[in-house]
Amino acid sequence: MHYQAASAAAEAWGYVAAARGATMDALERVERLAGESAVVIFSVSTCCMCHAVKRLFCGMGVSPMVVELDEDPRGGEMERALARILGGGGAAVAGSAAVPVVFIGGKLVGAMDRVMAAHINGTLVPLLKDAGALWL
Amino acid sequence: MANHRVGETGLADSGPSTRSLINGTIGNTPSATNFFDQEGAAYFGELEEALMQGVDGLRETEDRNFYCNQPRNTRDLPIVANEISANSQCKVNTQSARSTDSGAAQNSLSHPESDFPNSRKASSDQSTNHKRPQEMMMASGASRTEAATNPHPSSQEETLRRLAQNREAAKKSRLKKKAYVQQLESSRIKLQQLEQDLQRARSQGLLLGVAGGNAAISSGAAMFDMEYGRWLDDNCKIMSDLRAALEAHLPDDNLGVVVDHCIRHYDDLFRLKAIVAQSDVFHLLNGIWKTPAERCFLWMGGFRPSELIKILIRQLDPLTDQQWMGMRGFQHSSQQAEEALSRGLEQVHKSLAQTVAGGSLSDGIDVGNYVGHAAIAMGKLADLEGFVGQADNLRQQTLHQLRQQLTTKQAARCFLAIGEYFTRLRALSSLWASRPQESLVANDCVVPATADPHIIHQPLHNHFSAY
Repeated sequence: MHYQAASAAAEAWGYVAAARGATMDALERVERLAGESAVVIFSVSTCCMCHAVKRLFCGMGVSPMVVELDEDPRGGEMERALARILGGGGAAVAGSAAVPVVFIGGKLVGAMDRVMAAHINGTLVPLLKDAGALWL
Repeated sequence: MANHRVGETGLADSGPSTRSLINGTIGNTPSATNFFDQEGAAYFGELEEALMQGVDGLRETEDRNFYCNQPRNTRDLPIVANEISANSQCKVNTQSARSTDSGAAQNSLSHPESDFPNSRKASSDQSTNHKRPQEMMMASGASRTEAATNPHPSSQEETLRRLAQNREAAKKSRLKKKAYVQQLESSRIKLQQLEQDLQRARSQGLLLGVAGGNAAISSGAAMFDMEYGRWLDDNCKIMSDLRAALEAHLPDDNLGVVVDHCIRHYDDLFRLKAIVAQSDVFHLLNGIWKTPAERCFLWMGGFRPSELIKILIRQLDPLTDQQWMGMRGFQHSSQQAEEALSRGLEQVHKSLAQTVAGGSLSDGIDVGNYVGHAAIAMGKLADLEGFVGQADNLRQQTLHQLRQQLTTKQAARCFLAIGEYFTRLRALSSLWASRPQESLVANDCVVPATADPHIIHQPLHNHFSAY
């Protein structure tokens, strides 16, 4: 009984949580998720470019938090929200896929080309250090 | 082409004249004889020269519409010789006045006795309109048969002698014609093989430029190849400008202008590559647009940035410690970025292979799944465009970063070094292409490496000639 009550309570709690999630729009969800870790990558599990960006961070010794949009029930909306965040002027992301998108320290870095440019510029590593994702 | 017509239409056109010749008619007139006297020597000599030179002689006379207007005449000669030998003298006599005009031929056919005045008229037309060497032959024939028309006994022997000479000349010209046709045939084969070699060389990227109707290359790729060729030429000029600016010890501002111009030129190249990547990414990926030596180092449709940085660190040797550290860090991040892209590309290959091999490969096609798999596979191929784009982005960022990290003078030397490095690779490629292929040749004939199959005929001949 106690167990039943507890599970009922858990269910109720889950229901509340889901309801709260439903009231948030996709953009807010994205921003909330982006702030949850030093490095957040929004990805799609089958996307090979996402695989590349994950390997880049792992290669640098960073362990990013990955949000797989195809495994999230609200992934489609979030992908659209991300596209809006990124693609104001139609920056030519090849294939015009919204993912991967990288946030560091809760702030937007951008899609793959921006991440690459930042790494070559030498601005990526300081950013990672400031966010506490990298310790030399 | 006119010579070709000699082979074909000459025979075809000689139909009516052949028929008339069977009757033993040849074109000759007294007025033609006069013509012979006046200008005969020159024209006769020309014809002899033409026959002696064979092909060349015939080609020279091509321009004068030699064969266009009078294709039948050259055929007339040998046939005339045959026919004359077959016919009796009196037939020759009666048909002495025959013009090569078909109209006049009709006249002479229908009125063998009265053909003399007709042919005179016809041949006077001829002599006024056409000054052809074979007129002279006919004229000489005319002089012969004219002698035959005069009932003079000794001239008949002379006629026989001259007819024999005519036969000899005809035989000679027949042999020459045969030799010429054989030469044409072998030239044709040689031309075909040269075209094949050209195709092969072009596909190996040794020849840049507009391909004449090369179906194996897409239009976007062909356009890119042409633009790239132009880019290379411009790059050459920019390199010499840069070298001149360095040697002139220009102040940093002016030198900087030249260096920035160089960087903008590289930006142009990346723009070109982006355009062709949209239509034909495989053209970039297979590196056909680069020379073979450059292709050794091909990475995702271009050069590998970290390799370039490694070379440049050595070249730019008097670097401050800070600069050296910066460059090493630069090399390191470049390597990490390349590694990430390479792993991503591997993922594309893996999932493409899985998709293509989806379902059973040996049980035949399941149409329902096939279409779905094909769509996914198409998506994977489209991903390649993204990777090439990111790789080019990396290359472009590398070049810009070099400009940022180095002083103006160092940057000038740096870009000069880059230009020289790739120029040397291209030079190596052409050297390689023109190296002598001794393994293919039996004796001491040395041929360039790019001319392949028809060389093999030579050693075979050399082999057999030994036995």
